[in-house]
Amino acid sequence: MRYKVLLGIWLLTDLALFVGTYVLAYFVRVGWIFSSDFPFGSFLKVAMIVAPVWLTVLVLTRTFSLTRTQHSFRNGAYILYASLIGVAFFSLTYYFLFEMFFSRLLLVEAFFFNAAGTWIWHIVYDEVKRLLLRRSPPAFPTLIVGCTREARALIHDMNAHRNPLKPVAVLDGHRADEPLIEGVPVQGKLNKLEEVLEREHITHLIQASELEQSINLISACRLHGATYILLPSVLGVVEEEGTKRVTHLEGRPVTAVSGAGDLWTLFFQ
Amino acid sequence: MQAFILAGGFATRLWPLTERRAKPLLPLAGKPLLAHLIEKIPAGMPITISTNRVFAESFLAWQKETGRDDITILIEQTTHDDEKIGALGAVSQWIERKTIEEDVFLLTGDNYCGFSFDSFLEQYAPGTPLLAVHDIGEKERAKAFGTILPAPDGRTVAAFEEKPPLPKSTLVSTGCSVLPSSLLSTLCLFAHKRPDNIGGLFEEFLRRSITIEFFAFSEPWFDIGSFEAYLEAHRSIVGENLLLTGNAVCTSSKTEGAVALGRDTVVRASTLKDVIIFQGCLVEDCVLEDCIIDANCVLKGIDLTGKMLREGTVLTRK
Repeated sequence: MRYKVLLGIWLLTDLALFVGTYVLAYFVRVGWIFSSDFPFGSFLKVAMIVAPVWLTVLVLTRTFSLTRTQHSFRNGAYILYASLIGVAFFSLTYYFLFEMFFSRLLLVEAFFFNAAGTWIWHIVYDEVKRLLLRRSPPAFPTLIVGCTREARALIHDMNAHRNPLKPVAVLDGHRADEPLIEGVPVQGKLNKLEEVLEREHITHLIQASELEQSINLISACRLHGATYILLPSVLGVVEEEGTKRVTHLEGRPVTAVSGAGDLWTLFFQ
Repeated sequence: MQAFILAGGFATRLWPLTERRAKPLLPLAGKPLLAHLIEKIPAGMPITISTNRVFAESFLAWQKETGRDDITILIEQTTHDDEKIGALGAVSQWIERKTIEEDVFLLTGDNYCGFSFDSFLEQYAPGTPLLAVHDIGEKERAKAFGTILPAPDGRTVAAFEEKPPLPKSTLVSTGCSVLPSSLLSTLCLFAHKRPDNIGGLFEEFLRRSITIEFFAFSEPWFDIGSFEAYLEAHRSIVGENLLLTGNAVCTSSKTEGAVALGRDTVVRASTLKDVIIFQGCLVEDCVLEDCIIDANCVLKGIDLTGKMLREGTVLTRK
């Protein structure tokens, strides 16, 4: 519920932001007056029509997904892309409705204000959202399966960056020596899975080892309505980002690991 | 004499099959492993089965099914692996609380013993502990068990070593023994110090110069502690057969090796090799090899090798 409310506020503020940045571009370009040559009302009307289209593009690029890091360059690129689409739709819509073009610089400014404004707002809102989602009780209590170095590093990063998925328990196929991994209690072996899933109201399970148990962990997640996440290292995939990716083969999603990573591999293989 | 069966473990190595049932209640050749033991215990001998609180209900339900009223389920107040009172601790607690003054026929509930208990008990000389031993064939495999070194008389135990790094023999203790009433106080004393070391009790007997006799057998014996051991026992006991329990159905399918289907299980248009499928499963258009499928699973259009699936797993390829 907490997440849905935050997401709703985020979407609404984004709509307002789109219109706001276009209005800002209007006044910066036209001056702080309501021009009679270039009516503000028409401009505002088109901005309001285009805003949902722009938001849809953002949604389709999964910018609002729970685990997206808003300050990443990849996310910034998606926001730039959505802003470009927004400007293009704005121009077309204005032309179709009023059969006229207007200042090209205004479009450049609108694009700039919209992209920069959106990215900054997303970074700020993401921080607020992360804080609120991790407040006790956490909105997304997460179970880590496996006490590997990868798991330890992941828990450290998730806590350091206040990831919305908050690790609350660790289970291990073998008895772990330490009672805590990065401050998260090791609650035993996999025979406690059912108990931990229920008691901690687990929403996400991250598998960091025990490859042979993946079907059973997925099955448990299905029964509890939890999301299952597999770390590639469980499959032996330890390559850097770029050489491993989820892609499609004859319509089926597959995990691909390429050899040496170069631009050709990244974009064309 | 009273029989005491140890069934208090949490069997974490056999997860997820032991998520809701104790190891002794796992099906083997169409009936629970425990039933194979119980059937061999001479009629009239009272039986006590020690288990933990988590699995208590399933043992009580099983007891009802057997219809035997000479079986008592003793429930340890433990719910987790780390609270276990230990195998020997459980025996000692039972002896002290129930003031047992008879000889005790001690068995471990997760072992399959192919030999006759009548023959074993016939060899028992009152007052002398008797241990059933099995030649496991390889010293490497013996490292995981308690091993004995026979005395030159070929009847008594010269040395006992619990999980030795360098075994001196391939004769391993099978968790089946008779403890005379005169030694129960020694057992309780030792249990207070080492509650989880049942093999250590025999070392203690030898330290106190107490003679231990052994009963060597060549029939099959399995300690079902892992997925591989469970499948091995299944292959050995079921053989090259398709074993249908209750109203299990297998149609338009190819089976190879040992295949056992639990009651209400339906298998259609599939290929199965060395597979155990528990009750209430539906398997259609699947290829399964070396798999153990827990109850109420639904598998359609799936190929699996070497997997244990937890109860209620649904894998259907659309």
